[in-house]
Amino acid sequence: MSTISLHDTHNHDNHDDHGHHKETFLTKYVFSQDHKMIAKQFLITGIIMAVIAMGLSILFRLQLAWPDKDFPILETFLGKWAEGGRIKPDFYLALVTIHGTIMVFFVLTAGLSGTFSNLLIPLQIGARDMASPFLNMLSYWFFFTACVIMMGSFFIQTGPASAGWTVYPPLSALPTAISGSGLGMTLWLISMVLFVASSLMGGINYVSTILNMRTKGMDLWKMPLTIWAFFLTAILGILSFPVLVAGVVLLIFDRSFGTSFYLSDIVMGTQILPNEGGSPILWQHLFWFLGHPEVYIVIMPAMGLSSEIMSVNARKPIFGYHAMIYSLIGITILSFIVWGHHMFVTGMNPLLGGVFMITTLIIAVPSAVKTFNWLATLWRGNIRFTPAMLFAIGMVSFFISGGLTGIFLGNASLDINLHDTYFVIAHFHLVMGSAAIFGMLAGVYHYFPKMFGRMMSSKLGYLHFWITFACAYLVFFPLHFLGLDGVPRRYYAFTEFEFMQKWVTVNILVTWSAIIAALAQVAFLFNFFYSIFKGKVASQNPWQANTLEWTTPVERLHGNWPGEIPTVYRWPYDYSKPGAEADFIPQTVPFSQTMSSNMPHDFEGNSESERIQREWEEENPSVDASK
Amino acid sequence: MVHTLKEEDLKMEAAFNAKPRKFVVWLFVVSSTIMFGGFTSYYIVFAASKGKGHGLVLPDLFMYSTAVLIASSICLFLASKALKNGNIGSQKLLLWGTLVLGCVFGYLQVDAWGTLFHTGAAFVNNNAAISMIYVVSGLHLLHIFAGLCFVTSTLVGAYMGISAEKSKFRMDIASIFWHFIDILWIYLYVFLLLNS
Repeated sequence: MSTISLHDTHNHDNHDDHGHHKETFLTKYVFSQDHKMIAKQFLITGIIMAVIAMGLSILFRLQLAWPDKDFPILETFLGKWAEGGRIKPDFYLALVTIHGTIMVFFVLTAGLSGTFSNLLIPLQIGARDMASPFLNMLSYWFFFTACVIMMGSFFIQTGPASAGWTVYPPLSALPTAISGSGLGMTLWLISMVLFVASSLMGGINYVSTILNMRTKGMDLWKMPLTIWAFFLTAILGILSFPVLVAGVVLLIFDRSFGTSFYLSDIVMGTQILPNEGGSPILWQHLFWFLGHPEVYIVIMPAMGLSSEIMSVNARKPIFGYHAMIYSLIGITILSFIVWGHHMFVTGMNPLLGGVFMITTLIIAVPSAVKTFNWLATLWRGNIRFTPAMLFAIGMVSFFISGGLTGIFLGNASLDINLHDTYFVIAHFHLVMGSAAIFGMLAGVYHYFPKMFGRMMSSKLGYLHFWITFACAYLVFFPLHFLGLDGVPRRYYAFTEFEFMQKWVTVNILVTWSAIIAALAQVAFLFNFFYSIFKGKVASQNPWQANTLEWTTPVERLHGNWPGEIPTVYRWPYDYSKPGAEADFIPQTVPFSQTMSSNMPHDFEGNSESERIQREWEEENPSVDASK
Repeated sequence: MVHTLKEEDLKMEAAFNAKPRKFVVWLFVVSSTIMFGGFTSYYIVFAASKGKGHGLVLPDLFMYSTAVLIASSICLFLASKALKNGNIGSQKLLLWGTLVLGCVFGYLQVDAWGTLFHTGAAFVNNNAAISMIYVVSGLHLLHIFAGLCFVTSTLVGAYMGISAEKSKFRMDIASIFWHFIDILWIYLYVFLLLNS
């Protein structure tokens, strides 16, 4: 009998090794099928891409602030794209395009969802790994290839794609239209197809894992909000990314085979093109049918992470757990019927515009529910201002200040003035850019001990937070006023237009703020990479949190738990429960061990448990009175 | 004793893992449906705004290929049934049937493109609705190719004599996927017939 039990544990230890007892460097660090390692791969690739995209933004900010000044150093690095130390107009367009593409897709979709869905889904629902670890590995390597191809477009003669991150045809569909529409655009499309394939493989895996592989007792209404957010994000991806593929396939045919899906009545120079009958508006429909859910793909994981982190660090249950979930579901559903608000000025039927306006404004309701719930969670909490907590609060701040301008832009009539101006730039950089990146950084600071078994320095974390927080507002807030004045986005030199010249001084402020914010990231990068090797060794549950991932040992092992997967008995937010011994009760603690703190509603109408609880309370009247 | 326990354990694990993996295939079916939904919505909006569809009489070959595809689906269904009854021999035979019929379908589709091309409805066309016929049938053909891979893997499994759970798992995956692409093609064909 003893041999059997011995063998049993042994089998669990090597649970997912499938017979391979030794891991080589290649299977452990490169082609790893362990969700925790894949999460780290996504995170580090995401950080590298974020640094690159931030660098690109500094380059075009230099141009916007000092359009008449030469920076000889730029020519050293960029060669012919910055001849005489000035960024060329063509390259400026490439910069904004690739900045947008990398940030939206590679950092805030793959870097955020890829990292935290992979890390937290198996750990927080109690699974050994993903439904298909192999598909998961493939997902990372498709993403990596997509990154390499996207960056590769900087090393070709004609430069990277330049038609904006939305790559509207006909500009993007005609290889000779601008230099960036040549090979660079082709590489962009290839890279995006790989990226979508990666996202789909990831998303399908996440949904299947969450629905099928939860541990005993983990019903859907006991899942942490992070898991709910990742789940709904993955569903959004599965339902919307294929439409982008459809659009991209047609665009590839238009570019390379001469079809007319998006093209009609085009004159290039003196030459009339043969394409007829297509419509570029149809691209916009297909693109924004993905594109709008995409912004929720970006923000919902950040919302989930912030909810979890704020509850842990406020030492309070999340306010309105069910409302938080229903609002996420509401956002998920509504996000599919609002895409038209990106197209109010394309000649859309005003009646249809009105419909899209109403659906868009209704999204403010679940968003506001979430916001008020976060504020109510903070209200009278024993707040621990860890760096993760600060970033989570920062996320809420940006979500509010950026979300308010969404109500302006969602109006079909106001949008006539505001569309394609810096007002839009300000809006989405706050509400989805800064908010999502703060949610991501909150997640990095909070889950660093889980990923690397060590702590990040909180002093550097505070420095990083305050500079980034202040500078993000200094960068994006002034842009609202440019937009209200009608300054269009993507313009190369403000000095060329009489009415825009007065804004150059504001641009100088914005650019300096951006440079300081970029320098603040050095504090983060140093902290991150230094702490991986030299950080303080973490304890098993450094934040005293309730969720399952903190019941795994600090040494990370394939299969997550050395013995059996723990059973879950309660929801994840029992913080500061009256009558409890500690201010947190992990999900794995059964109610029979916490008789002094049980509430009638804990038993969900189970009359037997209620009876036992009543009997216990009658036997221990003193404890009951203290409640 | 220990040895049997290990095997049982592994079996349990395989059964445990089969369900989420099958679910992965279902989710892929959903996302693929959405992609074709994207194409057909393009078609609907295009046709509505231009007041014209592809305006063709679709080649009869599409009708034959549809019949072949339905036959292949029935074949696969019978193969699955044979496996359930433990009749590996007829399962193999029926899987071969599915493979052959799948290849015939592919051939007929390409032949239909030829017919379309010769009647003047080329892929590069100023009527995007006609180009769309090629796009949807082409991408569907890619799915057929993937489906053939699944069927082949089931067949190889049957010859190699893999465990009953595994061969049932492969059979299930192939069935989900193959019946899906069958229904998908019927949808596309009917869609193109109705929206000419």
